[in-house]
Amino acid sequence: MEVQTTNVKEISYREAVNELDIILREMQSDNCDIDKLSAMTRRATELIAECRNRLTATDEELRGILATLTTKA
Amino acid sequence: MKKKQSSDAEMTLFGNDGGEATLTITQLCDAVQQLLKSPTVTDKWVVGELIDFSVRNGHCYADLVEKDDEGKALAKIPFRVWNYKYDSLNNKFYAATNQQLGAGLKVRVRVKPSMHKLYGLSVIADDIDPNYTMGDMLRRRREIIERLNREGILNLNQQLLWPDIPTRIAVISSPLAAGYGDFLNQLFLNESHIRFDVKLYEAIMQGERACPTILAALEQIATDAHRWDAVVIIRGGGASLDLQCFDNYDLAAAIARFPLPVIVGIGHERDETVLDFVANRRVKTPTAAAEFFIKRGESLLNRLNTIGSALLQRATDIMAVEKEQLSYFEGVISVYPLNAVRHADSRLSNNISVLSTVASRRILPAIEKLNAMQSQIALAAGGAVVSCRERLNSSERLLYALSPQAVLSRGYSVTRCNGRIVTNATDLASGSRLTTQLASGEITSIVE
Repeated sequence: MEVQTTNVKEISYREAVNELDIILREMQSDNCDIDKLSAMTRRATELIAECRNRLTATDEELRGILATLTTKA
Repeated sequence: MKKKQSSDAEMTLFGNDGGEATLTITQLCDAVQQLLKSPTVTDKWVVGELIDFSVRNGHCYADLVEKDDEGKALAKIPFRVWNYKYDSLNNKFYAATNQQLGAGLKVRVRVKPSMHKLYGLSVIADDIDPNYTMGDMLRRRREIIERLNREGILNLNQQLLWPDIPTRIAVISSPLAAGYGDFLNQLFLNESHIRFDVKLYEAIMQGERACPTILAALEQIATDAHRWDAVVIIRGGGASLDLQCFDNYDLAAAIARFPLPVIVGIGHERDETVLDFVANRRVKTPTAAAEFFIKRGESLLNRLNTIGSALLQRATDIMAVEKEQLSYFEGVISVYPLNAVRHADSRLSNNISVLSTVASRRILPAIEKLNAMQSQIALAAGGAVVSCRERLNSSERLLYALSPQAVLSRGYSVTRCNGRIVTNATDLASGSRLTTQLASGEITSIVE
């Protein structure tokens, strides 16, 4: 399995999560390539951080939107 | 002077008449009045329609008419109710019909004819039979409804669909009426802060002019019907509860055919008019009309709120799932790589032990072979040494047998002169020093 090098900011949340899944499966498999392990770990950490950022931002955005909803109502 | 002239004239007029009695108008009227007390004409129940109705100083003045089927007057007589009777009559009528005496009503009244010397013949009512009017009103109403039904327009307005949230309301009412104020108050002070757009189309809400002014207002609204969601016809409230004017075919038909839903709030609970049958909706009071619009708005707001909270719930659920997944990732990312390393490590040690096993399995026979060869080599080497040694020994023995020492032992000696072995005695000069080597020791001698 090749470790992706695309910018994590440029992929969708869903793509990021799928990639994380693949990396973790690879890590658990018997054929895990130790040469790529640190690259995979670094990539996975980046992906997780990006996902968390987006999730937090989305959470805040949601709150904002719904706050406007309740003030209008 | 005037009086005098007048009586002169009377004298002239009445003068030449063959002695027959001559009456003044007053006398004639008085005589007629007397005749009118005959049981054949007095205290009679009569029916007729009231027109030109008015009340002045508590007295009621109107005409009582008899009409043919087309509404043409066949007979007409002035109708009066004096103030001492009017209130009780009106109250009795109101109690039964829920409306005041007025123009357009068909009434059954008990009357006495009366001849007044200035105002002529009239009938004075002292009792009324409200049931007749009720029956008549009902019949008229039924006739109008039947006609609307026959023409297929009775339910037209009721079939109109309401917009989701009707907020643009054309009101037909009287501007100064308390009812219109109630409607506005209720509408604009609603707790949900729903904004309404209201315009008043003025009309007179009672009496004979109600019908034409309401029709005119409807026509006006129809010209900009696109601006409005609904029409509300409400009464001013107040003392007069004359509903008679609303039982009108033209008005009912106009409402039934109206392109916008019409709400009427002109009666009270126990009153009905034809309009109640054709309007999209009838309400008891102007306040109730306003309440209807607010309720509709609120129900839509509630729906929006429900959608909003469902949205929030769904979004929160999705976020929760994603957060959980991310937490899982975060949990395993610190473990999996180490696991992978440990896994690889254990595989490596496994490989080493496998390797050593495989290797030893391959080497052992070679070592054994080597060992065997080693012992064979030792053996062969040993043999070779022995035979060599034996060969050496025999050579040694041979060598020994041939050695000078062995010869010497047998009694031979070796004589050297100046280190050289002497083999010819002539070679020796006298006085030469000789060394003779024996098997054991040497002797020195001098040649003579």
